[in-house]
Amino acid sequence: MNKSRSGDRNALIVLRGVSKIYRRGDQIVRALDGIDLSISERGMVALVGPSGSGKSSLLHLVGAMDRSTSGEVFVAGRLLNTLPEAGLTAFRRDTVGFVFQSFNLIPNLSALENVMLPMEFAGVAADERRRRAQDLLKQVDLSTRLTHRPRELSGGEQQRVAIARALANNPRLVLADEPTGNLDSKTGQLIYELLKQIGTMRTVLVVTHAESFAAMADRVLHIKDGKLVPEGNISAMNDVAARDVKEALQTKG
Amino acid sequence: MTMLRIGVRNLWRSKLRLVLVAALIGAPFFLLLVMQSIGDAVQRQTETLKQNVNNTLQMRARGSMGHVNMVGNQDILPQDVLAKVNGVEHVARVEPYLLAMTPTEGHNFAMVVGVDPKDTRRLESHGEAGNPRILFGRDLAAEDRGKPIAIVGQGVAKWAGIKPGDIGRATITLDLKRTHPVIFALDRPPVTLTVVGIYASGYVFGDMQLFVPLDAFRQAYAVPEGISWLYVRADSAENLLAVERQLRVMLGDAADIISPATVAEFQTTATAAVQRLAAGGIGLSAALMVVVVFFVMLLVVRERAWEIGTLKALGASDPGIVAGFLTEAILLCAIGALTAAVLFGIWGGPLAQLVFGLGVSPFLPSHYSALANSLSLAPRFGAATLAILVGACLFAALAGSAWGIRQIVRLSPMEAIRHE
Repeated sequence: MNKSRSGDRNALIVLRGVSKIYRRGDQIVRALDGIDLSISERGMVALVGPSGSGKSSLLHLVGAMDRSTSGEVFVAGRLLNTLPEAGLTAFRRDTVGFVFQSFNLIPNLSALENVMLPMEFAGVAADERRRRAQDLLKQVDLSTRLTHRPRELSGGEQQRVAIARALANNPRLVLADEPTGNLDSKTGQLIYELLKQIGTMRTVLVVTHAESFAAMADRVLHIKDGKLVPEGNISAMNDVAARDVKEALQTKG
Repeated sequence: MTMLRIGVRNLWRSKLRLVLVAALIGAPFFLLLVMQSIGDAVQRQTETLKQNVNNTLQMRARGSMGHVNMVGNQDILPQDVLAKVNGVEHVARVEPYLLAMTPTEGHNFAMVVGVDPKDTRRLESHGEAGNPRILFGRDLAAEDRGKPIAIVGQGVAKWAGIKPGDIGRATITLDLKRTHPVIFALDRPPVTLTVVGIYASGYVFGDMQLFVPLDAFRQAYAVPEGISWLYVRADSAENLLAVERQLRVMLGDAADIISPATVAEFQTTATAAVQRLAAGGIGLSAALMVVVVFFVMLLVVRERAWEIGTLKALGASDPGIVAGFLTEAILLCAIGALTAAVLFGIWGGPLAQLVFGLGVSPFLPSHYSALANSLSLAPRFGAATLAILVGACLFAALAGSAWGIRQIVRLSPMEAIRHE
């Protein structure tokens, strides 16, 4: 990493004055507002906040899925703001693994083929990617479901395939956006345990509504109205977040 | 390769949709093949006509038959016309003739035609029965130039008492001083010609003529320069009108030009009209294909936007995703084309006939309406058909997918995942 610019030798992620502004017609939405953040290598970090607080936007900027409006985003020593599209594609392929709320498995590929997909993009040889994909699916306890299509798997199984796929290219950073949003609480607990385990080897950044799951993280970041809440104010923030989660669960019914 | 494979596999995601899309794309392909077969059939018909058609102009001195001793019709074309006509664009061949008449007993007269031995034996009024066929002896040959010889019609031979066994020895003498109500006397000595062949033409007047080498004619009738008739053949039927126009401009009132008008009429009306209609039909079919592909691929992009976003998030490049998308579009078109080709092989002929009868014939001049029944519209699959199918597939796939591709490339992974 370029220490002089990112300012932290041990940090995997450094954000300096990052803002993200969307335009929706005439309306301007400030999703992120002057975020300064540093996240070190390894460990599970939970990003908690109410709906529309900007947590997913932050995750997408870190994962090179989107570009910031202003500020600097350093990840794994790369200043993402200046990378061209092809550079961002390579960065996503080599450095980041994504876990989505809706699993986002390719429907007409089997579990094994879904896990092999990122390795194909990275140019890994066919035998090697098959072996690695089988190992990863074994690690998430799906070695008997290799040839199943996503529609033939349960929600928990699909998310485990997605986690295996996120690890396919051995990324330094795994980003999970509400990974248990479509799962029951028991399955969600298992998924968080899996992510926690993955966090011992690399950095895992998880966006969640659920404080109970966030409590499993090594570090919890709170975000509200596009700004990170200073760690001293977390207790007050937790009350707000808990209320939001409760409201959200009630709305879900 | 990964994305190409995904593109191929995407085809089979919904078999019902595949069948529906193949039918939607196949229908305009089928129409395209029908229109192409009509265009081809008319083109073939035109080519056949061009081979058989008379694309030759006849030129004579203005208001004259051009016979060197015919009362009131003795004007002939100046010799320099030959060089001028030879210089006209699209002129393939020029054949000069000299003509005279000679009185005979029993008949009013016989025709004497001076011809270069390499040129066609053209009888006066030859259009009525075709050109002469040698019955006995031989035809004129290149080495006969300047020699006082002749081939004579069987009528002339009978009048002169020449039998087949006499050929090569028998002679015929032309008395240039003899007159007739339409023939004036020339103050020239009689000309004796050795008969080397007897021909038949199929009609009485044609058989009352004799051909002599052109330079022998000039010497006999004392016509060192000038041309009675000049036959000018254009290099193709399409250029006949252009040649005629140039000749009229160049020669003005000096010459009458007799043109076979029907050739030009067919070329400029029937063929051109059908070709335009067929081209219009092909264009319409291609446009329909593009529209179908456009909507299908737009639907695909909308339906699978999240998938495209996911692939981008996993590290697929934009060109790779576009390649997969295009593969799917091209294969969809290819399946439609294949379906259309099979159906065309089965029903193409009768349907092409029907389309031609209902959709094309009404636009042709009335006397071409019978063409619908005479055209051979049986389906033909050749290199041209294959090229058209492949070209149309690529065109429809590329043009129809352009908007979808723009959407794919424009969106960031996150926007694509959220795209609705």
